[in-house]
Amino acid sequence: MLYVISKYWPFLLEGLKTAFIITFTSYTIGFAGGICIAIARAFLHKVLKIIMHIYVELFRGTPMLIQLFFVYYALPEVGIKFDPVLSAIIAIGLNSAAYQSEYIRSALSSIPYGEIEAAYSLGLTKLSTMLYIALPQAIRIAIPTLTNEAIYLFKYSSIAYFVTAPELMYMGKLIATRTFLYVEVYTVLAMIYVAFSIVLSGVARYIERRLQIPGYIV
Amino acid sequence: MWQSFTPYIPIILSAISNTLMLAFFSFGIATALGILMAFIEVFATKTLSIVVDWIARVLRGVPLILSIFLVFYGLPSIGLVLPPLCAAILGIAIVDAGYQEQIFRSAIKAVSTRQLEAAYSLGLTRAEAFLYVVLPQSFRIALPSWINDFTIVLKDTSIAYAIGVVEVFTQAVHVAQVIMDYMWPLVFVSVIYLAICYPLSILSNNIHSKLKSMGMLGSGV
Amino acid sequence: MVSKLLVVEDLWKFIDGKPVLRGVTFDVNEGETKVILGPSGAGKSTLLRCINLLIMPDRGKIVFDGEDVLRKRDIHSIRSKIGFVFQHFNLFSHMTALENVTLGLTKVKKLSKHEAEKKAKEALIAVGITEELWNKYPAQLSGGQQQRVAIARALAMEPKLILFDEPTSALDPELIWEVLNVMEKLAKAKMTMIVVTHEIGFAMRVANEVLFLDNGVILERGAPEQVILSPCNERVRRFMDRMKYVYNVDKGYAH
Repeated sequence: MLYVISKYWPFLLEGLKTAFIITFTSYTIGFAGGICIAIARAFLHKVLKIIMHIYVELFRGTPMLIQLFFVYYALPEVGIKFDPVLSAIIAIGLNSAAYQSEYIRSALSSIPYGEIEAAYSLGLTKLSTMLYIALPQAIRIAIPTLTNEAIYLFKYSSIAYFVTAPELMYMGKLIATRTFLYVEVYTVLAMIYVAFSIVLSGVARYIERRLQIPGYIV
Repeated sequence: MWQSFTPYIPIILSAISNTLMLAFFSFGIATALGILMAFIEVFATKTLSIVVDWIARVLRGVPLILSIFLVFYGLPSIGLVLPPLCAAILGIAIVDAGYQEQIFRSAIKAVSTRQLEAAYSLGLTRAEAFLYVVLPQSFRIALPSWINDFTIVLKDTSIAYAIGVVEVFTQAVHVAQVIMDYMWPLVFVSVIYLAICYPLSILSNNIHSKLKSMGMLGSGV
Repeated sequence: MVSKLLVVEDLWKFIDGKPVLRGVTFDVNEGETKVILGPSGAGKSTLLRCINLLIMPDRGKIVFDGEDVLRKRDIHSIRSKIGFVFQHFNLFSHMTALENVTLGLTKVKKLSKHEAEKKAKEALIAVGITEELWNKYPAQLSGGQQQRVAIARALAMEPKLILFDEPTSALDPELIWEVLNVMEKLAKAKMTMIVVTHEIGFAMRVANEVLFLDNGVILERGAPEQVILSPCNERVRRFMDRMKYVYNVDKGYAH
């Protein structure tokens, strides 16, 4: 049964590649965006802070599917068109940025304020303090949540299926409808997703351990 | 513009009941399963807890659409045909159970071992100690994450669109296809989700701060 | 000719509507050590933080090294000339002891890494932190060691004034002496210091002047022998009686 699937492995590989591309790119957007938003919210003008707050709550309070459909189906109505994979990357990336900014923001607030005072007392500017004292610690504190986010995104890359992006889910459906072997195909897909999730988790634990500050109890 | 959309609003609103049913039922099942698995993992024998741990990991590793597809398209081949709504509930519950196991497992572990010692020396059995001493306290600790998980489940109900369940997102998409405009239906349905999720996330944060200021009742006495 | 390094005039600070500092006025000459005593909540920490501008006072004047500090726009250069040692050390937990001390030198004073390390190591040795501890992280050091690294961090910046906010209050009793020891050496080397503390033995040995702050007002100031051993003010006398009981200080203590 599953051996029939072995016949279609090129398709699955293609799907996996696309899934990785979507995951990796949107995670990077999410990470960069998350840091920028977290910093911006610590520094900027009140009005901009409120806009950032609205953005974060908006993307966290609505389903990713709505955001995806908005980018792929609604934006063309005002003239902005993206192909399926790019739409997925943008939508998932913006979503991830909102979540990652919250993870980093809460990590920032858990840094003892005394260290910030000490930095200011030395004469460091607000920006320097953020870059050399606050952020390095915040990112280390937030690593478990940030690595979880990567694994989460890998699974959610599957929603790109809905906009016909040629990722793993889509390929699976293709094979299943052609061979009518639904159970087998989906079981194989499940095994692939689970296997990668577990591998990614292992990598995550390894990264966490390596970046530990000696003696530092989070 | 938006005038072409307003007549269809009732259609979308009528689907809210289905969305809520999806959310409550799957969340309820997932909570029960999650607590059960967490209990086994913390209290049972080594081999059993490893087995449960891996089951939970597998459940967490499956994307939601895949879970729903497996239940809806896969089960019929072994004789079990479920209507879309039930299949979706089951599909969502299975994946969420994996996450709830994680939530309750860490909450249970956070309740002090000294509490257990005290309970055992009173003569309570393992199950009784769990039910009357550990579970109530772990529930308090798990509350913020648990509420947060509900908002995730609620948002995930939108994926039931994949098998045609008539919930708010599906309706919004159908309306959009009819009036050839995606923007307003999507905006409208976003408001519906926000109206439930935003207050809940604030509630979850407040409970979290309160617990923290009370010492979170974490590992300690 | 000894000049006035710091002049604080009629300082007022309100927090949540309540006055924490009420018209505080005093001055510090170069090379002097001033000790500020007083009950908790008297505004001592707030006063120190106003001096290095961590907190902005609501009213009053602060003149440091000839400049009206409250009117200056570049507060960072002022802060780099004033060292601050905190009650809870506040070392940067993600950096080694050496990195903690070099940070200010490289980022604020813009020294080269080589130069910064040289000065940092000198400061660390001066406070008794030897080489094997330089690459340790704060979590791996004892409280006394951490506080001495914090002092080195302030010292390395070659400040004109160092502020100490209850530097030994968070230490195990056995470790207090190593920090007081370093502070006494600094005082004897004529570093200008303002120290908020409860260690009246330290005040007796080293202070040029003692100020008693209560409820945002300086109730009494003068030589340690006077303010601690025979104060004029009734409130101060009550406080000192209790402190002398606890710390076992009497007329013959100062050596």
